[in-house]
Amino acid sequence: MMRRNGLPVPPAFCVTTEVGARYRAQPGATLDAIWVDVLDAMRTLEAATSRTFGRGPHPLLISVRSGAAVSMPGMMDTLLDLGITDAVEEALAVEATADFARDTRRRFTDCYQRIVGGPAPDDPYLQLRAAIEAVFASWDSPRAVAYRSHQGLDDRGGTAVVVQAMVFGNITSNSGAGVVFSRNPMTGANEEFGEWLPGGQGDDVVSGTVDVEPIAALRLRQPAVYDELIGAARSLERLAADVQEIEFTIEDGTLWLLQTRAAKRSAQAAVRLALQLRDDGLIDEAETLRRVAPAHVEALLQPSLQPELRLAAELLATGVPAGPGVASGRAYTEVDAAIEAADRGEDVILVRHHTSPDDIHGMLIARGIVTETGGATSHAAVVSRELGRAAVVGCGGGVTTSLAGKLVTVDGNEGEVRDGSLRLSAWSEDNTPELRELADIARRVSPLRAHTGGDYPRLDRHSEAAVRTAMASGHSDVVSASPLLAMLAAIRLSDVR
Amino acid sequence: MSDLAVLQAVRLKGRVSRTDLAVTLGEDPNELAVVVDRLVASGLVLDSNVLRVSHDGRAHLDELLTEERRHVDVAVLSAAYADFRAVNTEFKALVTDWQLADGRPNTHEDAEYDALVVARLDDVHRRVTPIVDAAADQLPRLSRYSAKLQAALDKVHAGETMWLSRTLIDSYHTVWFELHEELILAAGLTREAEAKAGHAP
Repeated sequence: MMRRNGLPVPPAFCVTTEVGARYRAQPGATLDAIWVDVLDAMRTLEAATSRTFGRGPHPLLISVRSGAAVSMPGMMDTLLDLGITDAVEEALAVEATADFARDTRRRFTDCYQRIVGGPAPDDPYLQLRAAIEAVFASWDSPRAVAYRSHQGLDDRGGTAVVVQAMVFGNITSNSGAGVVFSRNPMTGANEEFGEWLPGGQGDDVVSGTVDVEPIAALRLRQPAVYDELIGAARSLERLAADVQEIEFTIEDGTLWLLQTRAAKRSAQAAVRLALQLRDDGLIDEAETLRRVAPAHVEALLQPSLQPELRLAAELLATGVPAGPGVASGRAYTEVDAAIEAADRGEDVILVRHHTSPDDIHGMLIARGIVTETGGATSHAAVVSRELGRAAVVGCGGGVTTSLAGKLVTVDGNEGEVRDGSLRLSAWSEDNTPELRELADIARRVSPLRAHTGGDYPRLDRHSEAAVRTAMASGHSDVVSASPLLAMLAAIRLSDVR
Repeated sequence: MSDLAVLQAVRLKGRVSRTDLAVTLGEDPNELAVVVDRLVASGLVLDSNVLRVSHDGRAHLDELLTEERRHVDVAVLSAAYADFRAVNTEFKALVTDWQLADGRPNTHEDAEYDALVVARLDDVHRRVTPIVDAAADQLPRLSRYSAKLQAALDKVHAGETMWLSRTLIDSYHTVWFELHEELILAAGLTREAEAKAGHAP
C-alpha cells in the first residue's frame, strides 16, 4: 500500500504464499524450482538500489521476513543484515565506518545464529536460501501454531517471504529509527506521537533496552525529514481510514517507511479517535460505532488513571508490571518505618531492592510495591498479586534512593512510577461529552434506540442476551441504565446478521 | 528447641504471634513459651502483641547462623542450592500461572487449568524433596521445611487451594520463599549478590 501511493519504501520483492504452501510439502524441490526467479529478483533489487549483493564497493544487505496474510505479532522469524561476508564487511568499513561494519556484522551473526542455528556461511546466496527456508519453517514453529490455535486462525495457509533492501539508522549522525503514530494512541489527542532513537536501528527501538527520544526531538534536529514523516503518517491514515503506527528509518537524512499498521490504543483513545475520524469525514457513523468495543466503554466506566493525567506527571521509574492496579502514597524503603507511617494513617508505597520473607508485613500495609530487581514471577510479584497490591518490579539499581520520601503513584498496569499522588477517575455515560456524543450517533444508527428515560419498555441489563430478546420482541426503543452499551450490543448483533 | 531455630523463625516471619510461631516450628506452645520468654527477657526478641527480633537479636542470630555453618560441608549445600535454583524457576512460573491465566487474574473457574498447575506442583515437590533432604543432612533444622511443604501440598490436594500461594499462612509459596532464604544463607551467599547474579528471588 505504501509503495503504491508513492511513499518512500525500500525496494523489495515477495516470494508468494503459494510457494510457501508448496514448500511445506516439498521443501527442497520447491526452492530449487523458484531459485532462478529469486536470483532474477535480486538483480532487480541491485539495480533499484545501485548496490551489489555479496560484494563491494557498495554492498547490498537485505532483510528476509514473513509476509503472512494475517498479522501474528512477534510470532514469525525475521532475519536482518543478510549478505555480509568478510569482503562485504571490509567494503562497508570503507564506505561508512569500521565501527558500523563491525556492528552490522555482529547483529547479523547473532540474528542468523538465533534463527537459523549454526554459523552463517560466507556465501551470501547460501545465507539467503537458509533465511527463506527459516521464515517458511517458522510458520510451523510451536509458538506460531499455538498462537493460531489460540486466535482461531486458519493453520493451512503458510506464509509469504518478503526480501527487502536494508536501510540503516546507525550509519551516520543524521540517521536514526523510530515509531510514529498519526495521532496520540494513549490520550486520543489529534497530535503526532512517537519516539525515535538517533543513530539507532529499528530493532533497538523495539527492544526497549535503550533510551529513546520523543518524536518532537526529530523536528528540532531534522525539520524537513520530520515534515515528510508527518505528511506520510497523515496520508497513510487517510488511506487506511484509521490511526496508523508506522516504523521508520532515517538513513543519512533520507526517510524510509518500513511498516504501517492500525495503532493499538487505550479505551480513551478508541472513543476519541473514532469521533475525530468521523468529524474528519474518514468514516461514517456506523463505522464510528464499530470502532468502539463495548469492552472499551466498560473499562472507561471504571475508575482508572486517565492517560492525559498520567502522561503529564513526571516519570520516575519504569519496570515490569507485576501486580495490576494503580496506587499512590509516600515511598518508604524500610519495613519498620513503612509500618509506623501506615499506623499514623499515611498511604505507603514500599520500595525495596528486592523483597525477603520478613518484608511481608511491610507489603501488607503498603498500597503499592516497587522493587529494583526481579521479574514478573519474582517473590515480590507473587506476593503483591496475592495481596492485590499494585506492583512494579525490576526498576533497576538506585530506585530506592531516588524514590525515598517522595509522594508517588505506582501504575501496576503500565509498569511505571510517576511523581505525585494521581487521582483515579471514571467516565460516565451521562456526563462525559465523548460518550454522550457517541450515544447520540448510536440513536441515529442502532436498530434499537436506548434512552435514559421515557415511556418505553425497560431493559434490565445491557447484556447481549437482553438486547437480543428486546430486538426479537420488535422493540425499537427501550430505557436502559447504560444506553450506549445497549446500543453498541444491538449494532454488533445486527452486523452479525 | 534451639534459640537459633526460634530466632530464625521469628526473623523470617518478620512479625509473628506466639500461636503461629508454635505452628510453624511444630512445637508445643507451652514448651515454646519458656524459650520465647527467655529470649524476650534477654532483649533478643521484642514482644508487643506480636513477636519480632530486636537489633541485638538480629546480630545474635547472625552469630548463631555463622556458628551453625562452621560444621557443614559448604560444597554439599552449594550443590543443593544450585539444584534448588533450577526447580525455583519452574515453581515461580507455576505460582504465577496459578495467579494469572492469559495475563488476567485466574478466576479459578477452569478446573482443568487449575488441575494442570497442581500437577506441575506435584512434579516440583518430587524434585525439591531430595534437595531439602540433602540440605537437612547438613543442617537438620531444615528438615522442618520438608514437613511444611508436604503439609501445604496435602491441603492443596484436599481442595484447600489457598495453601498454594496465600501469604501469612504456611502455604507452599510462603514455606518455599523461606526455604529459599535459608538455602541462600546456608550456601554462604546473600540475596543482594544473588539478585545481581541474575538469580532474582
